[in-house]
Amino acid sequence: MEYYSYVNIFEQKGVAYILLLSFLVLAVLLIRYLSGSGDKKTARKEGADS
Amino acid sequence: MSNAAVNSPSLGSELARFLKFLLQELKPRGKWLTPFNIISIPTILLGLVILYFRFTQGLGAVTNLSQQFPWGFWIGFDVITGVALAGGAYVICFVVVVMRIEKYHSILRVTVLNGFLAYLFYSGALLLDLGRPWHIANPIIGNSFGYNSVMFLVAWHFFVYTFALFLEFSPAIAEWAHFDKLRKILSKLTLATVILGFTISMLHQSGLGALFLMAKPKLHPLWYSEYLPLLFFTSSIYAGLSMIIFEGTISHHVFKDLIGEKTHHAHDQIVLGLAKGAAVTMFVYYFFQAFILLHDGERWKLVTGFWGFWFLLEIIGFVLVPCFMFAYGVRHKRLGVVKVAAIVTVLGVILNRLNVTLIAFNWYAVDRYYPSWQEIVVTLMVVFIEVWVFRWFVTRMPVFSRK
Repeated sequence: MEYYSYVNIFEQKGVAYILLLSFLVLAVLLIRYLSGSGDKKTARKEGADS
Repeated sequence: MSNAAVNSPSLGSELARFLKFLLQELKPRGKWLTPFNIISIPTILLGLVILYFRFTQGLGAVTNLSQQFPWGFWIGFDVITGVALAGGAYVICFVVVVMRIEKYHSILRVTVLNGFLAYLFYSGALLLDLGRPWHIANPIIGNSFGYNSVMFLVAWHFFVYTFALFLEFSPAIAEWAHFDKLRKILSKLTLATVILGFTISMLHQSGLGALFLMAKPKLHPLWYSEYLPLLFFTSSIYAGLSMIIFEGTISHHVFKDLIGEKTHHAHDQIVLGLAKGAAVTMFVYYFFQAFILLHDGERWKLVTGFWGFWFLLEIIGFVLVPCFMFAYGVRHKRLGVVKVAAIVTVLGVILNRLNVTLIAFNWYAVDRYYPSWQEIVVTLMVVFIEVWVFRWFVTRMPVFSRK
């Protein structure tokens, strides 16, 4: 007999939310990291030079 | 008769001048005995011999293709992988022409040329794989549109996008041939063709993934997903950016005499900018994969044994690791790390496309498909001819910025 199985979204919702939140938090951290000025020593030196 | 009419050259004389100029330009320049020529010329000649047998005796004479594996290395590598790696053209065109980020303007022409040649040769390699190559025109001329198939979309998009890339590059050809009026007209078309090209690229990059949606029983469940089109599109962005970094690094060594000093110095900043884009896109792609793995409750249980290891190797080793390498390289301005990351990423994209088309396809089959040496030689021939044509273009036309 043919039958259908459905994905139980309630069972997985918690993990999906955690994954989504971690994506958003990590995305912000990654962008901040990429926008940084590199090594702190170099940045300080560049700031002092300017 | 006005003075302008007397002074302006006739069409006939202009054509005669252009033909003479073209014949002059077709003559070879530079040294013949270079390592690249020594390797590529015999390979191209051997490839042509193999193609003779392919077209006179059929696909079975030179390939390991069968009824169970009708798509082999020529489709998996040349077409599916080649098109993904050519994705840099639509990304850079969008960034420079639509978003007006002038920083990347100096790499616009060379990227468009790379994209155009990649589409011409790699999607052109489709002709080698078709049992009846002359039927390739059917979706275009309407003999048999087949608009229920994803192939219809892919065929039209390849055709239109290759033409759009040619139009985007055409001002450089007009400049080279000293057709000043034509160059002005073609330059005005750039914005429209870029918008058209970008839209079409998004659709056919994802369309290539959609080709495998109907192969659900054949593709390993770790690679099969209803989101394959989205994954193909996202990965084409960082594949293209990594390929620009890789090709740009080689070009700046090989063609350094053709590149202006200012552009040469600005290249490092361009590479870091591209790496930043690649890192963000790879990060998004990685999470797409994580969401897809979680979406179907039973799917993560498949991450076991050889196929589980192979899947994790692709996702972690060739996506997450180079993503971090790009981020580290950008943050600390380490160009060496960025260039290694670009190579790892290109290898990762090749691995992903080969997994979907060959390795994880019919994964349960007892008799596996392995490409024959003839298939590999013909693929190398296609790549080498493309490099030869690219070299001809860049040594004659204003492709690199002289500033």
